[in-house]
Amino acid sequence: MIRASLFAILALVPGALSSQDNTAELLDRAAKYHADLDVERELVLLRQVISPSSPFVVTHDQRVQAYKYLGAALVVLGQTDSGIVYMRAALERDPFVDLEPQKFTPAELAAFGEAKRLTFGLGVRPIPFDTIDPRTERVHFTVMSTHSTALLVEVRTAGDPAGVMLFRGDNDGPRELQWDGVMPNGRLAGAGRYELVLIGISRLTQRADSTRLYFSIQQNHPRLEDTLPAFGPRDLLPEQHPPSAARAQLFKGLGVGAAALLISQVLANSELEGGGGKLAAGVAVTASVAGIVAFVRGRRHREIPANVTANAQRQTARAGANAATLQRNRERLEKTLLVIAPAAGVGP
Amino acid sequence: MRALVILWLAIPQLLSGQVAWQVSMHVGRAEHRVRDAGGLFPASGTVFGAAVGVDIGHQFTVSAEALGGRFNADSSASIDDHSIAQVLLLGGMKVRPWLTVQAGPVFRNISNAVARQQWTALRVGGEAYVPLGLEGVRGVLRGYWMPLVSVSGLPRPDVALAASAGVEWRGPRIGVGTRYVLERYDFPENAGDRRIEEVSVLRVWVSAFWSSP
Repeated sequence: MIRASLFAILALVPGALSSQDNTAELLDRAAKYHADLDVERELVLLRQVISPSSPFVVTHDQRVQAYKYLGAALVVLGQTDSGIVYMRAALERDPFVDLEPQKFTPAELAAFGEAKRLTFGLGVRPIPFDTIDPRTERVHFTVMSTHSTALLVEVRTAGDPAGVMLFRGDNDGPRELQWDGVMPNGRLAGAGRYELVLIGISRLTQRADSTRLYFSIQQNHPRLEDTLPAFGPRDLLPEQHPPSAARAQLFKGLGVGAAALLISQVLANSELEGGGGKLAAGVAVTASVAGIVAFVRGRRHREIPANVTANAQRQTARAGANAATLQRNRERLEKTLLVIAPAAGVGP
Repeated sequence: MRALVILWLAIPQLLSGQVAWQVSMHVGRAEHRVRDAGGLFPASGTVFGAAVGVDIGHQFTVSAEALGGRFNADSSASIDDHSIAQVLLLGGMKVRPWLTVQAGPVFRNISNAVARQQWTALRVGGEAYVPLGLEGVRGVLRGYWMPLVSVSGLPRPDVALAASAGVEWRGPRIGVGTRYVLERYDFPENAGDRRIEEVSVLRVWVSAFWSSP
């Protein structure tokens, strides 16, 4: 039973893998028939490709190719209007589709030109993975309008209403555009998601159309250094004495004076009827005056000049170190490379 | 003996550090009060002196002080008028920036017209500084115990203490200060009588400082 299942799976896998190849093979055979002007056989193959009942996987590009050849084949058969309808279907799906002059007849080319005039579409080629040095290189975009169009092309940070204008004017056909990676604020585009926006108004039909191409940017530069953090309360010396400091000085002065009196009164022997109390009073008065002066001065001048100077020196040293760090970081940022990558998302 | 050898070996190392010198001139008013044999004999006078101090490195200090003066009995001229001369040597070690422990001998000579008395004592104590919030101004408190006192003709006192409190300003080169000093000696009772002696001094001084690397 298991062996039978394995055989069934093995029998189906090659079929699934070859289904896309079969579509490509059909398109190759159709192109060969077209070159040989065997249009009847070509039509059979192409209708098989675009048929909803086709057993094979048909990619977007293969379907565009099929519509293109279908339109050309019908033009060869004299069914120019029908041919133009299929060519327009191809153009609507891919504005970049084109008929190579060496493979198609002038009648086919003329019909394709008419299809382009009747169809208004804007397109932009997918952007490849790339790394550019914005100092010397540019990001390249290829945009397209199927016929004469008033076209505006901008690069925007995704979701922003405005961005860097790359082109504004009349356009007909493909156009190569370049972007230096600089945003309107004059800074290099930062890491994030961006969109290339095309907005156009047909000069022939006055119809408006727009499309977007999303891509992402990463900045690649040498590692940046951190600047020194701002000083916290514990990093700086107090620049003022607390209000209680003046009182403390007063008490110290009075304390020294009291000590002199205590020595003369307590340490002295009372039997001697005196301990030099008048002499001690001299020191007591002096110490008390010093304490009072210190108290008054402390109330009026609370700043601590030495600490103010020391803090200023620390601030200056920090500012100098940070300035040097910022300069080194600027030099590193000047060497930034932009890493461009396609991003998911579709635009109208 | 071993301690002396260690000290001797340490001296050159100590002197190789920064040395700061201080020389000061003192003048003061002093009282010398003695109670003995039932009588009180107060005397007072003016004293003059000079001192030299050396700070060795950041931790050690050595100072020498000489002081003397004539004391007159407060009542009337008598044999109680006398002179006092003393020399004080102190070695100190800073155990905290604000506290220095000190020890050293004191030699004192008290003489009058008929007699001379020799005092020798060993002081042990300390000196504490109290900054007073003005640049260079500080309070100075001192306290000493004299465990060994020898007085010619008298027994060893039971109580021998000295204490002082003062204020000083010390600038970069000069300084001034004032200090009240009290010394108390209680001698043992002898035949129902007890000799008590006390010296109190109010001094002012002017100092000069300099240092050598």
